[in-house]
Amino acid sequence: MAHVVLKDLVKTYGSFKAVNDVSLTINDGEFVALVGPSGCGKTTTLNLVAGLTSATSGDIFIGERVVNDLDPKDRDIAMVFQNYALYPQKSVYMNLAFPLQMRKLPKDEIDRKVREAARVLDMTQLLERKPRELSGGQQQRVALGRALVRDPAVFLMDEPLSNLDAKLRVQMRSEIKRFHQDLKATIIYVTHDQLEAVTMADRMAVMNGGYLQQYDSPAQVFAHPANMFVASFVGSPAMSLIPLEASTANGGEVLTSAEGWSLALSPRNAQKVARATTRKVVLGARHSTIKLHKSAIAGAIPAKAYTVEPTGDVTFVQAFLSGAIVNISVSPNITVVPDEQIWLEFDQERIHLFDSETQMALEAN
Amino acid sequence: MSTVSETTPRGRTARRVRIDGWRWGGRAFLVFMLLYTALPMIWMLLTSIKSGFAAMQFPPQWWPDQPTLDSYQKLLDPQNSVGQDFLRFFWNSLIVSTATTILSVIVAVPAAYAFSRFTFPGRNFLFFAVLLRNMFPAVIFLVPLFILMRAIGLVNTHGSLVLTYLTFGLPLAIWLLKGFYDNIPVQLEQAARIDGATRFQAFVLIVMPLSAPGIIATAIYSFIGAWNEYIYAYTFLSKNEQLTLPVGIQRFFSENTTDFPGLMAASFMMSVPVVVLFLLLQRYFVRALTEGAVKH
Repeated sequence: MAHVVLKDLVKTYGSFKAVNDVSLTINDGEFVALVGPSGCGKTTTLNLVAGLTSATSGDIFIGERVVNDLDPKDRDIAMVFQNYALYPQKSVYMNLAFPLQMRKLPKDEIDRKVREAARVLDMTQLLERKPRELSGGQQQRVALGRALVRDPAVFLMDEPLSNLDAKLRVQMRSEIKRFHQDLKATIIYVTHDQLEAVTMADRMAVMNGGYLQQYDSPAQVFAHPANMFVASFVGSPAMSLIPLEASTANGGEVLTSAEGWSLALSPRNAQKVARATTRKVVLGARHSTIKLHKSAIAGAIPAKAYTVEPTGDVTFVQAFLSGAIVNISVSPNITVVPDEQIWLEFDQERIHLFDSETQMALEAN
Repeated sequence: MSTVSETTPRGRTARRVRIDGWRWGGRAFLVFMLLYTALPMIWMLLTSIKSGFAAMQFPPQWWPDQPTLDSYQKLLDPQNSVGQDFLRFFWNSLIVSTATTILSVIVAVPAAYAFSRFTFPGRNFLFFAVLLRNMFPAVIFLVPLFILMRAIGLVNTHGSLVLTYLTFGLPLAIWLLKGFYDNIPVQLEQAARIDGATRFQAFVLIVMPLSAPGIIATAIYSFIGAWNEYIYAYTFLSKNEQLTLPVGIQRFFSENTTDFPGLMAASFMMSVPVVVLFLLLQRYFVRALTEGAVKH
């Protein structure tokens, strides 16, 4: 196993910048998820590490080596593809053996390793089958097996679960996580599904538009999103983002809506707003941090319920505030009907404030 | 389930009535096409086993009174001059067609792969330029190519034919194979390269076997084209010992008055390699032509 360092990585296609100045350090044995919407540059970044495309500028280190100019075969990596990329004309056995054959290992050693990998992944009985005779989950497992049979320095995974049905995806998710824990493998995992990143990764690198937005542990990214993009991308349903105007009243900071209501800020939040260069502030709040009241109380903001979505153990209520959709989760034994008048109370300790121009989170000091 | 089985018989009869008209029309058309294509061949076969006299009779003998394999014996006998000529023509055709086939696969495979996988300046232009030759009737190029061949000293060589047939067969071969390569996920090669193969190894070990049906189809197409071609062979070759079958048969039998059974026997034997080749490999051919029509 080895650590991986990306330094000022840039990849352009003509005038289009797919990857913009991305710098990342992935520690030995760490599971890092590259996550973002499609076209954000995450797969391009992975292909750069794999050597399937060459960087426009910047450096890639695997272990202590600069691998920029090395062929994929010389980088000591293994990759699992979204469509598995199993060799259709080869049996499962030959698929697993291929990377070893290419490295000219002796026949008996190949046989031993292939059978060992098959045993670990519980597919010894499938060795003589062709990939097309396997189910999606089994194909996925063979792809995983082909990666681990060689004991590479780094595992690269490009949306390995997105072709599976929902139930199998959850199951394979925990299998891959277990696989990481057992092998202490360095894994770079690309996904568009923030939930996969949050549940599996030690650290997640959120990307958008070719730029790295935030690189931190899932808990940190969730609790302290660096900007509005990360705030709205991570977490489901998405964080509500409400555009407001800051003003000073009675010595404290107040956020005022064009709708007429205003929200007095706690001293710490007031400090954040006071340090901002703009008066246009975006208030962010996750569904679980907003309290819904059925009658007016001090500090709560009046709104009308728009839709109500019961999910069983929690009911999601949507309302409009200052033209933005606000998600609130309530206990299922609270009945709310659409168009009902409700009052929303924000938890000052857990709201997020953003500069609406730079879109960056406002910091206290 | 019970409701389904109750309604099915009625639904089926209603549907059958509607389809019948079309189905019979379709059958009639198929029978017509079958006769249209098969009758000349049957007549060729029947004539080839008649005696020279019986072949000229009118009204014709629909079934030969005294079937004989004399014509075949004569053509395949290396001892007499007719047999010698026929076998030589056959050999010449085989050489020209095989050389054309091998060369066209050697050129078309990498060309199609490059068009499918790489982006390079002028890619689209070149790809359509490949088709340019096929937009004109072959005869248009007859005189220019003859002058060209004379200039480079290839008149009266088999090389002139191989070169010419290549320009005829390659466009479709490249298009056909490109369709194949487009359908092979690029991730397969990427996986192979990560697994330790060079780019070339990934192509030879992973992509080539997957495109085998396309390569076979390309080969059949080139072979049949070269095997049957007449007008260029007639123009470029004048020495008797170099003639290919189509020209050879025609010239040969007009010289020896008209020996219809002999002519038909020769024609039949000429069609044997193509038919055998096609029957053996037709499933690849069909697969190649429909490749890319549906998503797998």
